[in-house]
Amino acid sequence: MAGKCTDYIKDLNDYIDGELDDSLCAEIEKHIGKCENCRIMVDTLRQTVSLCREGKKEKLPATLEIKLSNLLKKKWDEKFGKKGV
Amino acid sequence: MNEKKLVQQAQNGDFSAFTELINAHKGRIYSLALKMTNNPQDSEDIVQDTFLKAIDKIDQFRGEAAFGSWLYSIALNEIRGHFGKQKREDLKPVEEYLPAQGAHSEGGSNSAHVFDWGDPHRILESRELREVIDEAINELPIKYREAFVLRYFEELPVKEVAELIKESVAATKSRILRARLAVRDKLNSVFEDRYGRKMH
Ligand SMILES: [Zn+2]
Repeated sequence: MAGKCTDYIKDLNDYIDGELDDSLCAEIEKHIGKCENCRIMVDTLRQTVSLCREGKKEKLPATLEIKLSNLLKKKWDEKFGKKGV
Repeated sequence: MNEKKLVQQAQNGDFSAFTELINAHKGRIYSLALKMTNNPQDSEDIVQDTFLKAIDKIDQFRGEAAFGSWLYSIALNEIRGHFGKQKREDLKPVEEYLPAQGAHSEGGSNSAHVFDWGDPHRILESRELREVIDEAINELPIKYREAFVLRYFEELPVKEVAELIKESVAATKSRILRARLAVRDKLNSVFEDRYGRKMH
């Protein structure tokens, strides 16, 4: 195994997300142990996703909530008729 | 009440069953649209159109997938429609995201230098950081953006992302990786600039 950085890059995501099988994991860890650049890549790729996830989950605006239920009811009645009201 | 029963009732014209079915997913679809478009008004339109389509097609839902996944695929279509025909943008091949380096390397010649980010919150205020991140995501071509957003914001397993975007698992993995590398690249260049300024 040559151990070039490019050999590992395709598996980095699976590695970081914990979805890589053990033997490949071990190989990557061995490489990272001696390759500072790849160690930083792994680290910053991990941070990339955690930073992205930091924002608050947007909630449906209350105005849309009301508009939506009126709109959908109208559409529903057009489709099914006013039964069950 | 279970989903199957609710679907049956909705298909028979029960609006309250339909409402109950979509309630669990409204917020998620809105936040998906918002992450994809970065535009609240467009996101509202997408949410509306998604549920109007869902009413149109409710009879076609056969329950092979979960109702939520079915809604998601409608939403994704609406989102794709929103962007219309995109020019064929693409990201660099993964290898080119690797830093240039010594001994056992073949990193791209124009790649940025690699450095530890430390805690980016110490360099940027959280609002600014959010803006940088939103911008980085928005710069992704749609096909990469949707894969990235579904995987890391919606936290769907790769297999589900693949089903939604109608690609193979391998192709989906590659898209997610390239998107992540591209976002990392963008953040890296912003942080590099900031760290530089802080240090001098
Ligand atoms: Zn390396």
